[in-house]
Amino acid sequence: MSVALAVEEAVRAFGGVRALDGATLEVEPGSITGLIGPNGAGKSTLFNCVSGFLRPQSGRVLLDGRRIDRRSAHRIARAGLVRTFQTPRVLARMTVLENLLLAAPRHPGERLGRALAGRSREREARARAGELLELVQLDGHASALAGTLSGGQRKLLDLVRALMAEPRILLLDEPIAGVSPALRVELLAHILGLRERERITLLIAEHDLDFVMRACDRVIVMNDGRVIAQGTPEEVRRDAKVVDAYLGAKHQ
Amino acid sequence: MSVFTSGGFWAFVGVVAGIYTILALGIQLQFGFTGLLNFGQVAFMAIGAYTMAILVVKEGWSMWLAAPLGVAAATAASLLLGLSSLRLRADYFAIVTIAFSEIVRYVATNENALTGGSQGTIALGEVGKAAQYNDQWERFQARVQGWLHVSSSDVAMLVIVWSVAVVLLALVWLAVRTPWGRVLRAIREDEDAAASLGKNVFAYKLQVLALGSAFGGIAGLFYAWQFSFFSPADFQPLLTFFAWMIVILGGLGRVWSVPVGSLVFGFLFAGTRFLDFAPLSYLDSAERAYLRLIVIGLVIIGLVLLRPQGILGRREEMVLE
Repeated sequence: MSVALAVEEAVRAFGGVRALDGATLEVEPGSITGLIGPNGAGKSTLFNCVSGFLRPQSGRVLLDGRRIDRRSAHRIARAGLVRTFQTPRVLARMTVLENLLLAAPRHPGERLGRALAGRSREREARARAGELLELVQLDGHASALAGTLSGGQRKLLDLVRALMAEPRILLLDEPIAGVSPALRVELLAHILGLRERERITLLIAEHDLDFVMRACDRVIVMNDGRVIAQGTPEEVRRDAKVVDAYLGAKHQ
Repeated sequence: MSVFTSGGFWAFVGVVAGIYTILALGIQLQFGFTGLLNFGQVAFMAIGAYTMAILVVKEGWSMWLAAPLGVAAATAASLLLGLSSLRLRADYFAIVTIAFSEIVRYVATNENALTGGSQGTIALGEVGKAAQYNDQWERFQARVQGWLHVSSSDVAMLVIVWSVAVVLLALVWLAVRTPWGRVLRAIREDEDAAASLGKNVFAYKLQVLALGSAFGGIAGLFYAWQFSFFSPADFQPLLTFFAWMIVILGGLGRVWSVPVGSLVFGFLFAGTRFLDFAPLSYLDSAERAYLRLIVIGLVIIGLVLLRPQGILGRREEMVLE
């Protein structure tokens, strides 16, 4: 098993626009893979197709060698592929702690019959949630409504909530967009730490090239719905097609 | 005036408030906790009441068997509705539910052989013979009246309806406090986020729709028993919106706000009968009866202006996004 996630010839069009036009890529297990490309390159559509929020019209998506492109989003999440959203989707009228507890996987208390019978695993979930909140220094806000958090805090909450779901592969959609420079460094440390401690495979879509080059060991470059280059940050940086995609072909 | 000051009148008002509580509890669970817009709640009331009455009159079933079957029929109908329509976006689903409730009412009006048509349950039996589905219930009610040593059968009904209402309220109150209830609130806040964390949003919505419809069915049974007769005209969409007004009055996302809203609504509704002083006394009583809708409308407008979270709601939850 050498591939954690594979996308093969994925196509997804909206009207006449082919947002994904035969995208093919592989993510190695245990890697931090960056996904870059200019606006409209198809990064978000790719994320949506991989995580089950959109169905590719043709092509395949494989998670650990198993096809997932016909599965619904919640089943993909349960299979171990969890995503975050570009703008963090915190549950505003629930507390920070509840946001985390919600993500606990295989929670017996989420079935009505068992919940009323008192069979729940809340204590375990609370302990884990407490650790994660401490990790991003949100433990002081545990009982605050998530809607009262600042933008940067929401990003952190979104990240640890995804971790709470115990993913094997985590898709981060622009994790540092809109985050202050000081917090960026912190987020980078958290993300690097994730692979060390939790052995999570990461796929990160990000506009900030500097961040991607520093954080990722592999980089995939998309343009016009296709993958135009992949390799180490160094290889990608020197790839003429990448330079074209970002600066336009005319600069030559 | 004496009839309004008698205990019997207020007991009657209380019974109706109890029935509304059960009806509106379904809306609270569906919308207040899960964000599901059901504008067809009255349909499940009608299905529960009609199923019970038809089985008793036409099939000669015991009421004690027919009643749970009425609730089961309401629940089954909601599952059919949900399976076909719950994947629609919230506002489209709302349109489907109100259409569904009108379909149910039209079927009840026009399927004379099954429902007695627009004449109502009195025409359920043979031609020329007034049908009754209520005998067993009235015997039970009389027995409860005996146990309680009260003179009014309305007071006995009051105790029965509110006992059931309190049990259902307590069950919902317990349920929404569990991790199950947490998933419901997450779906209300952002269903994509809930799905991204592995929650089967559709299954939870279907479950909540079925539960709320079962409550509607139970409310329908009590409605049928309280009035001993009903017709399709009793199940106008207005009744669904009474339940909505109750939930908004009491406050969204709170269980005990439902009985509070129902009582306030019930007493406002009945209390406008007392507005018989000048200049209102120049209106006849039928015209004055319409005043209550105006009064309730004004109260809701006032509430939205001054206390948008309802009587028991939390203000801070109204301002967050």
